[in-house]
Amino acid sequence: MAHLDEPISETEKIRVVSDFILHAPPGEFNEVFNDVRTILNDDRLLKEGASQAFTRYNKDQYTPCRIQGHPEPTLISEFGELEEGRFLDPRTHQSFAFDQLRKEASDYRPHPPHPIAEQWRAAFDQEITKYKNEHYKNGACAVYGAVDEKGDISLVLCIEAHQFAPQNFWNGRWRSRWTVTFSPGDEAELTGTLKAQVHYYEDGNVQLVSHKECLRSVHMKDPAEAARELTSLISEEENIYQNALAENYQTMSETTFKALRRQLPVTRTKFEWGKFMSYKIGSELKQA
Amino acid sequence: MSDQQLDCALDLMRRLPPQQIEKNLSSLIDLVPDLCEDLLSSVDQPLKVARDLTAGKDYLLCDYNRDGDSYRSPWSNTYSPPLEDGALPSQKLRNFEILANEAFDQYREMYFEGGVSSVYLWDLDHGFAGVVLIKKAGDGSKNIKGCWDSIHVIEVQEKSGGRMAHYKLTSTVMLWLQTNKQASGTMNLGGSLTRQTEADHAVTESQSHLINIGRMVEDMENKIRSMLNSIYFGKTKDIVNGLRSVIPSSDARVQEALRSDLAHALKSRQKMPDS
Repeated sequence: MAHLDEPISETEKIRVVSDFILHAPPGEFNEVFNDVRTILNDDRLLKEGASQAFTRYNKDQYTPCRIQGHPEPTLISEFGELEEGRFLDPRTHQSFAFDQLRKEASDYRPHPPHPIAEQWRAAFDQEITKYKNEHYKNGACAVYGAVDEKGDISLVLCIEAHQFAPQNFWNGRWRSRWTVTFSPGDEAELTGTLKAQVHYYEDGNVQLVSHKECLRSVHMKDPAEAARELTSLISEEENIYQNALAENYQTMSETTFKALRRQLPVTRTKFEWGKFMSYKIGSELKQA
Repeated sequence: MSDQQLDCALDLMRRLPPQQIEKNLSSLIDLVPDLCEDLLSSVDQPLKVARDLTAGKDYLLCDYNRDGDSYRSPWSNTYSPPLEDGALPSQKLRNFEILANEAFDQYREMYFEGGVSSVYLWDLDHGFAGVVLIKKAGDGSKNIKGCWDSIHVIEVQEKSGGRMAHYKLTSTVMLWLQTNKQASGTMNLGGSLTRQTEADHAVTESQSHLINIGRMVEDMENKIRSMLNSIYFGKTKDIVNGLRSVIPSSDARVQEALRSDLAHALKSRQKMPDS
């Protein structure tokens, strides 16, 4: 906290402002950005320090992006980031320029996939996209494939689904990230991070913020077999998480909430304000 | 510019995760130090508890019982850390404040069966104002941490030579629920709801104010409790389930078709004469 006599430095202001922007709830980036702009009251500083804010936010949120001529959208993430503001759609083997404000792709160019990783990536992509369509009403997913210096293959899956209803004062988003690094034929570790965020803001500010880390073992036998096993494990883990959330909701409402404040006193009637006063007066008279 | 900045600051506090209210408020004040007092008085924060060692009772801290860096206890009516000439209610108002604290202490016990409450009053030109605070922390059973904070701000304007009064109540209830379990990871459901109401009531005897205020606060708290229940455990849960479905959509479609076939069959059964 700043000492009253010394205002905070410009660097610190930018750090604070960038942090606010990054924490904008799903669907409310523009509102948060405009709030921050008015509060900071220094467009030069904002432009200088927070110009990366849009990109960072879109990457962090796995913002979906429609791809011209293809039914399946891709998404914006750190795993698909190329140079000069361009991003990769691994499914259609293209790169594109991404307008961070309009959230639109343009200037498509072919982007040949990695020859070794691609058969694993494509097989997994096909299975998981079917899974995504079965479980996510308004979702997007992308599978990225790469090979590291040791020659291990890595696959990264990102899933995103959102519902925006600002006219009803609520927004929500789900994000999954699953990673497996392996040598073909071996057992490998499948790690996942699942995130759910909901914001309700009619006459208030209520948010659900939740995340879970997952870890499973998978046998990367061959591309087709691995794709099936990966999808099956992911489906299982995501169902466990969602069912566990539902169970928590039930316990919270039936046990925790009730124990905080009763609906009515044990007497089953409201508090007798008038009686309190007469008890008070009565006891005072007794003492007099 | 200041007014706009304050509006934007309040809007920002309605959007950033409430789980970080204190940190966000502190950062905001760093950004716009001129708005410090306005922000502290208009942004609700989770209530802190302090111990009144002389009275041997806990009391709640908020901007309304703060003077500088000290806070006034409603039990001993003194500031901690001690203040030379901290703001105090008039003697007449203090008498009423003592009564209000007793009444709401009982009210708190009836509804919350535990927790801490505090009432602070201050004089206005043609009436008085006050805040009723209640804090109740859960016992952490079932591995879920829960906490309830009530902040009821009341403004009373006397009218018609003291026979009527206009009451304005602004109530905020904060509800915090957190759990950290293997299957569900970290789940944090928190925030607040605010509602306002105003009404005229007769002031027929010396203790009418307490009865009028008490009833308004009680009715308001019951209403907000019901809203919290439906929004926290209904609405936000429905939103999550709208993002992802455990049942695959093709299964859901088959189930829906079966349901519709069954409904249709039952309907045609009903239309047939005695079978």
